[in-house]
Amino acid sequence: MTSTDEAHLVRLIARGDRHAFDELYRRTSPWLAVRLRRRCADDELVADVMQETYLAVWRAAAAFAGAAVGGTAVGWVWTIAARRLVDALRRRARDGRLPLAALAAPDAPAADDEVLNVVLGDAMGSALRRLSPDLRQVLQAMVLDGLTVRETAVLLGVPEGTVKTRARRARIALREALS
Amino acid sequence: MNLSNHVTTAALERYATGGAGIGADALWAVEVHLDSCAPCRERLGDAVARHSPETVSLLALVQANLASEVARSPRMHSRRLPRRISRWAPPGLWPRLAMTLLVLAAALGLDLAASSQAFPSLVLLVAPVAPLLGVAAVWSVGLDPAHELVVASPRAGLNMVLRRTLAVLIVVIPALTVAGWLAGESPARWLLPCLAFTAGALAFGELIGLRWAAAALALLWTAGVITPSVLAARTPVLLEPASLPYWAGLIAVIAVALVLRRDAYTGLRSSTWFVR
Repeated sequence: MTSTDEAHLVRLIARGDRHAFDELYRRTSPWLAVRLRRRCADDELVADVMQETYLAVWRAAAAFAGAAVGGTAVGWVWTIAARRLVDALRRRARDGRLPLAALAAPDAPAADDEVLNVVLGDAMGSALRRLSPDLRQVLQAMVLDGLTVRETAVLLGVPEGTVKTRARRARIALREALS
Repeated sequence: MNLSNHVTTAALERYATGGAGIGADALWAVEVHLDSCAPCRERLGDAVARHSPETVSLLALVQANLASEVARSPRMHSRRLPRRISRWAPPGLWPRLAMTLLVLAAALGLDLAASSQAFPSLVLLVAPVAPLLGVAAVWSVGLDPAHELVVASPRAGLNMVLRRTLAVLIVVIPALTVAGWLAGESPARWLLPCLAFTAGALAFGELIGLRWAAAALALLWTAGVITPSVLAARTPVLLEPASLPYWAGLIAVIAVALVLRRDAYTGLRSSTWFVR
């Protein structure tokens, strides 16, 4: 059960294997749902995005199997999902529906982090924790989720200029914390 | 970050329920780890099943919708093989090649049905113009949706036309040989005329467009040779072994003309005003 297994599944899907598709869904859908729900509070939207994502995986699996790039299959699925999420938010904004409070509430600093034994290095970790939620969201979208400035602006519902400013401030804050 | 240690069950549960209570740094670490660790994703699935009923119902809903969508969804096919082939054949070529083979099969069928010796072999009569249907497709605006792109590419021109024509001949000539063998005709009698018509269509195509050139030559041969031969029930002089040197000379002349006017195939002008 390594990541090569998922890549293999995608290659099988490219050949039209329905069972491989179901297996990929079983393996990755809880992870994708949780990750999306942490970025979008609207469950209906998350369901739409997930459906579009897996449909795209089913249709375009050949594109992944054909592109013998170094990317992992799971990373590929996430890239599709992140782009679909941004597209869905953009559609909503165009329809004039309220700019939803897309993001789940910023995480409060936890008191009992010791239950986690996977943490970032000390200096980096505390710098991240001290970062204001606004700046952290921008970093999360751009670094962790691999979105562009424009996509981040859509996801967070703020102008592009604000995203750039916050990204710069976050970089400065992290550099100061690490120096 | 320590990736050799997997995420603890408590952290996974807290992550799965989506609530607060994970520090930003730990949250990042968990997400990055999940990206690359299949066993932890599996365990996250268990945590979701136990602690997050909303996610479970969401997943069930999506899966139910997907089942029907996937069943009627068109799929993208692997593009690797067609891309290699498209260097040799334009997209509209296949129906033409199939039709060529069908015409040959029909001629062969008539040959075998009417096996009287007095009647000229239809395979022999059709053989010289058989590749023209395919040749008509190798360089034409109407049949190739990407024709303008092809023309604009660095490899466009006579080189590509000849390459595509070769692809047609590679399919047609073996089929002709088999049909001729079944009908009892030697390839020697039709091979040179066949090449002459192919090259002639290419040369003539520079002037009026390949499709029209191929059609005109095929029509000329049908009206001038096939019809009289069938009506008179004798093999035409043009296909007697004695006339083969003349065919060879004709091919040489056409080849020279083709090379001299090779630039005509690098632009759209040769076919735009006549086709469509």
